[in-house]
Amino acid sequence: MRPVYIVGAGMTRFGRSDFSLVDLAGTAGLAALHHAALSKVPVDAVVVANMGGSRINRQTALGSALVDRLALYPAAAEAVENGPASGASAAKIGFQAIGSGMADVVLVVGVEMMRAVDGLEGTDFVASLSHPEVEYIYGVTLPSLAGLFTRLYMDRYGVERKHLAMVAIKNHEHAMHNPYAHIHQPITMEGILTSPEAVVNNPPVADPLCLFDCCPVSDGAAAVVLASKEIADRLGGARVRIAGIGQATDTHAVHEREDPTELRAVRLASQKAFAMAEAKPGDVDVVELHDAFTILEIAESEAAGFFKRGEARKAIERGETRFGGHLPINVSGGLKARGHPVGATGVAQLVELVWQLRGEATGRQVEKAKVAYACNFGGFGNNVIATVLRKEER
Amino acid sequence: MTEAVYAAKCTTCGAVSYAKHLICPKCRGEAFQPVAIKGEGTVLSYTDVYALAIDYDVRFLRLAIVELDGGLRVTGQLLDADPKLGKRVRTTVGVVRETGGKATHGLQFMPA
Ligand SMILES: [Zn+2]
Repeated sequence: MRPVYIVGAGMTRFGRSDFSLVDLAGTAGLAALHHAALSKVPVDAVVVANMGGSRINRQTALGSALVDRLALYPAAAEAVENGPASGASAAKIGFQAIGSGMADVVLVVGVEMMRAVDGLEGTDFVASLSHPEVEYIYGVTLPSLAGLFTRLYMDRYGVERKHLAMVAIKNHEHAMHNPYAHIHQPITMEGILTSPEAVVNNPPVADPLCLFDCCPVSDGAAAVVLASKEIADRLGGARVRIAGIGQATDTHAVHEREDPTELRAVRLASQKAFAMAEAKPGDVDVVELHDAFTILEIAESEAAGFFKRGEARKAIERGETRFGGHLPINVSGGLKARGHPVGATGVAQLVELVWQLRGEATGRQVEKAKVAYACNFGGFGNNVIATVLRKEER
Repeated sequence: MTEAVYAAKCTTCGAVSYAKHLICPKCRGEAFQPVAIKGEGTVLSYTDVYALAIDYDVRFLRLAIVELDGGLRVTGQLLDADPKLGKRVRTTVGVVRETGGKATHGLQFMPA
């Protein structure tokens, strides 16, 4: 396997977009190409991550559409649909293409336009990833799977509503310093949990999860340019290597897992990624987790190996996962506040980490960050991709 | 007249699964026989979900994962005004979704 580098990263501001799906993807792709300063080197392949274009935007074959929008012919092109893990899947395919020697430069773009449809249709579109015969027929949606998971996790591991709220408050605060974030709204413990008005401000969505435990519905796109060592050597700037990628799957129906509170695919994917990177969780300086629901930041941080089971809530209480803490998690704002355009999320996590490792995360730069970790969580944990990035000194 | 809901029992190792598999996750066997899901169990977890899928004209749905006596776990709708973790429930079959006038039958749980 040849080493693979991320030489450029860019994204659109997440939120609501009036662009077309293809324009949105193209805007992020162009930003990443500019960032890489690769104008003289041909792009060999384009991989687009998207979950719902064929259903909610009536757009198929996004890879071909993006090549045309950016005039990158005759680059190879495809689109990848792997649920909420589509973004990291697309990056993994680019990694394999360069690692194998089939390509030297790959543009990876994640895009989603979820606000093109109303909330009901959007929720149902995402729910269609659940098990069709033993979950979806009951009215299962992603929030409901998260609610079932949360109640059991709270009961077993002493997690309280206040810990969930601390995650939300932290990620909203982080997003205040990220100009690309969907939500720029500071929130307080009083406002969402402890005051009499909190029940009005923060109504239940899938109890015990409430509105501020759930990510917003976003439009957006994010892109990275992957390159071989030979190309990366020609470019200036700090060099960020994809040191390890791991992927694992689990049962489709959540109820079928031996321990439904165990995010087994997160654990296995992370172990694989760390093994490939020859690193351990203790080496990591900055982390992006898939906090589509606040409980997931807590549970993933334990399953990935950063904390023992049941210990993450204590780290949160001590402020360790805040910007400036020992292990800053979701400095970007995470899915909670940067937003969650489903197919774009896995790529947006990498964009943030590349900026962090290159020292370009103005206003939220984690000092001396050298090793970074991302978890892109597909389904409700049935398909997970973990990525470890490492800054290499020239 | 209610329709039955079936799980699949592996004829090689006896493992029972609500979700259909063509290969048994326990023993790799490929032969199964249907077994009707019935009886009592305990509530492993539940949630009141307000973020509803299409097809539901209600304020919220109460969903649960139930562990049936014998160990089979299933997801279904919880028809209990006073839900609690670990509470005993019995399974029934009812209409759990209606799409364009077409009814889907599935598992519902009542207090035992
Ligand atoms: Zn078997």
